[in-house]
Amino acid sequence: MRKLLIKIFLLIVITVTLFSCSENNNYGNRVISYWSSNNSYEINYARFITNKWNEKNEIKVKSQPVPEGQSSEEVILAAVVGETTPDIYSNMWQGDVEAYAQAGILVPLDTLKGFMEFLYERCDSSVIEEIRSLDGHIYQIPWKINPIMQIYNEGIINELGLENAPATYSKFTEASQKFQKDSDGDGYVDKWFGYAEVQVTWWQRFFDFYPLYLAASGGASLVKGDKAVFNNKYAVDVFKFLRNLYAENYFSKERLSARQDPFLSSDIATRFTGPWEISHAENFKPDGFEYDFSPMPVPDNHSGPIYTYGDPKNIVIFKTCKYPETAWEFLKDILDDQGDLLLIEMTNQIPRRKNIFENPLYKNYFENNPKMRAFAKQADFVKGTDASPVLKEVFDLISQEYEACVVYGVKTPEQAVQDASDAVDLLFLK
Amino acid sequence: MKKLKKILFYFFLTLSALVFVYPFYWMVISSLAPENEIANLTLLPSDFTLSSYSQMIDKIPIGKAFFNSMLVASSITIGVLVFGSMIGYALSRLEFKGRDLIFYIIIFTMTLPFQITLIPQYIIMVKFGWIDTYLALIVPYFINALGIIMFRQYFKSLPQSLLDAARLDGCGELQIIFKILWPNSIPALVTIGIITFMASWNEVLWPLIVIRDESLMTMPQLVTLFAVGGRAESQLGVKLASAVMLALPIIIAYLFFQKYFIQSMASTGIKE
Amino acid sequence: MMKNKRKILPYLLVSPYIIHFMLFVAFPVIFSIVLTFHKWNIIAPMEFTGFANYIRLFKDKTFLQSILNTLLFLIIHIPLQIVVALFLAEILNQKLKFKGFFRAAFFLPVIVSGVVVTILWQQLYGFDTGLLNRLLIKVGLAKIGWLTDPNIAMTSIAVMATWKNVGLYIVLFLVGLQTVPPHYYEAADLEGASKMQKFFKITLPMINPTIFMVVILSTIGGFSLFIEPYVMTGGGPLNSTISAVLYIYKQGFFYYHMGYSATLGLFFALIILTVVFVQKKFVERDT
Repeated sequence: MRKLLIKIFLLIVITVTLFSCSENNNYGNRVISYWSSNNSYEINYARFITNKWNEKNEIKVKSQPVPEGQSSEEVILAAVVGETTPDIYSNMWQGDVEAYAQAGILVPLDTLKGFMEFLYERCDSSVIEEIRSLDGHIYQIPWKINPIMQIYNEGIINELGLENAPATYSKFTEASQKFQKDSDGDGYVDKWFGYAEVQVTWWQRFFDFYPLYLAASGGASLVKGDKAVFNNKYAVDVFKFLRNLYAENYFSKERLSARQDPFLSSDIATRFTGPWEISHAENFKPDGFEYDFSPMPVPDNHSGPIYTYGDPKNIVIFKTCKYPETAWEFLKDILDDQGDLLLIEMTNQIPRRKNIFENPLYKNYFENNPKMRAFAKQADFVKGTDASPVLKEVFDLISQEYEACVVYGVKTPEQAVQDASDAVDLLFLK
Repeated sequence: MKKLKKILFYFFLTLSALVFVYPFYWMVISSLAPENEIANLTLLPSDFTLSSYSQMIDKIPIGKAFFNSMLVASSITIGVLVFGSMIGYALSRLEFKGRDLIFYIIIFTMTLPFQITLIPQYIIMVKFGWIDTYLALIVPYFINALGIIMFRQYFKSLPQSLLDAARLDGCGELQIIFKILWPNSIPALVTIGIITFMASWNEVLWPLIVIRDESLMTMPQLVTLFAVGGRAESQLGVKLASAVMLALPIIIAYLFFQKYFIQSMASTGIKE
Repeated sequence: MMKNKRKILPYLLVSPYIIHFMLFVAFPVIFSIVLTFHKWNIIAPMEFTGFANYIRLFKDKTFLQSILNTLLFLIIHIPLQIVVALFLAEILNQKLKFKGFFRAAFFLPVIVSGVVVTILWQQLYGFDTGLLNRLLIKVGLAKIGWLTDPNIAMTSIAVMATWKNVGLYIVLFLVGLQTVPPHYYEAADLEGASKMQKFFKITLPMINPTIFMVVILSTIGGFSLFIEPYVMTGGGPLNSTISAVLYIYKQGFFYYHMGYSATLGLFFALIILTVVFVQKKFVERDT
């Protein structure tokens, strides 16, 4: 009798297991699967380019938006675990690549024919160094960027008697002081010059600390190999600058994201954001509202170009791909000048390639989309992320200290940067 | 004097009831108010508009999420009623070796904090390939220790003659459970049904973990991600509209079955 | 044959439970324990690290803080809940017009998803335009940083949780209050006892078991505090509202430190079991 029970039990387990295994995706034989980002512009773009390819080629490419979820990073991770990864994925955050590369699930692209030549033609050598993995191989193709810049309310800037958004820390602070107001007279400030999300979530630092740090330092790294390298004057200056803004209540400590858009309601005059803000503003702005973009503020004695964070999304080929060479052929096709023109026209995103603003091919687009010009000019001076498998933790540790020092002022900038740097070094010790 | 005291008393009572009801009222009218009025809204907006709702419907598949939630919560409820009564019946009315052991294991698992089992359960879902399927949302909840124990208690209280008569008529054990015991256990079925349905309707941590595909998300998950993530594009009315949509079905059910809701919850003391 | 069938049948009936137990309880517990000795980010293979996770746990200040936060939450939430619930239950236990309406009103937040409640309260607690601060300004008081002041944020969350759950405990207390035999009060009336005296001398001792049940239930519920800080504060400001479950969730599903997250989970589970066990002993001794 006991045997019978065991048999029943086993039978159920086996059925359940079989049932679940038989669900594996099967794209048929000679097909390359391609996941694009899931915003509607990019879905259309992906459909367009795959159709074009499929007309002429025997091995077909099938596009599909990355399943919508909490974040595309999580979806990719789940796909890796479930072994249902696509062959090509075009929305890979640069900071994630190192961890996947180390897990050995990405194709080293530099081993493909003609890849390095292509890369040198497309990108500056500094970009190539930036995307090189710690093992010396290259696992990603720089594709598109969304540089973080300062958006500002033109009306307010003019009212303050300024011509442009403040470009340096002291000008920014000065303007903040002038603008700060208690408009309803309840004894509390309700107009702040700027706003940065106060949450500690690691990626929130892409919109305050990190671009400011890159701007101040001319694009310096946070980590190199297994060492923190951000314990320097630039990081401390950024902390000091922001800390003062919070201490003087020029920036609000409240999570304004929980309420209405404070920028469009003119409760704040500036914020640090990317080109996606354009379509949002065009959709929701009140009548007569004028805005523009300018580079991130820098320390007063800054010289040279002003860098920022580019939020790069790159293309990778997973090792599950049966035809990496063909996949590469397909990618080469969509990554030439004409392909990038299509990308920028169809999706309003900036391709990561040399001299985008000077190239006559794209001139027409920027004439028609003047708000995008600032981003195109900025595109020559963007940084992505450092190659590190623990980048999220690095940002998390910085973010913890950032909150303590910048937002709540319970630590000095020097101490906070020092502590963050020490904590990051500990991370590598294991 | 006595009258004044009474008026004051009722005034106070009404005030405290308002504390519990007014926030919901505010949420509903804010979701119907023009976006720029929400910040200063207290009683009534100057104008009613459904624009927050239409924007929300554009942004998230709330209809699909409602369907998902319905499907998941109903399947779980049916599963819990069927399996719970089978197991509860065996534990209360049949004699077999290991019966007490199983009973104690069930009691023990009730005290086991879910923190221990969360990650391995996630991994099981991954290994089964159940991530991003309804199965992950439903199957693990089929067995509910509380349901089993409540069925066991209830079946124990039914008279033996009921079973004896059924056996004489040649009923099988499954027939006994579903044809004889069920019709005699309506209160238990209602109680367990309501609790299970409500708990699964409101569950959010587990869907957050096993579902990434937006078209499979349940309402609480979708609304959580919508409100926490940036998809509401800082449009407050839209967020509140999604919250109203999430609250509405349960509140409507509550208005209809208020008595049962309160009794069910009181009989178990379980929350959420 | 017949006899055999009768013997197997009970096992068939309970087999779903056994399968479920193996898959979702027994295996996870064992796996969890194994996991605590490993480093695993899901993508790369598991790596044995000995006691590294445990050592890290004992040095992890944030985890310690998350436990203290959870305890702080319990310390504010439970007494507040009992006082408010008992008070309102006492009122509802009298002859009253619209009793059903009032009971239903208090009960309303109980049935609504925690997600709705947190989204709603995030608005009530807003610093600039939140309803509560608007009210404070109107009556001439200073604004309060309900969710932005690290010293207040957890209390705000505890108040909200009380608002959400108190209806349930009102109902539980009502059941308890009805078990007090009326002649006790009649006897007290004859001796001229005041309302207060009656409450403390008769009511309170009589409903002691209900109070203990409420304590245990809200302890277990409070230990799993998650969605409220997750939605409202993300654990901030300065980690003042990060609860243990939120921290475990973050380690596991944000940073994919599966081994470490399992270690935290196991450790925290032991704490919960200990607290609940002690509480149970306390109840058994007292009743």
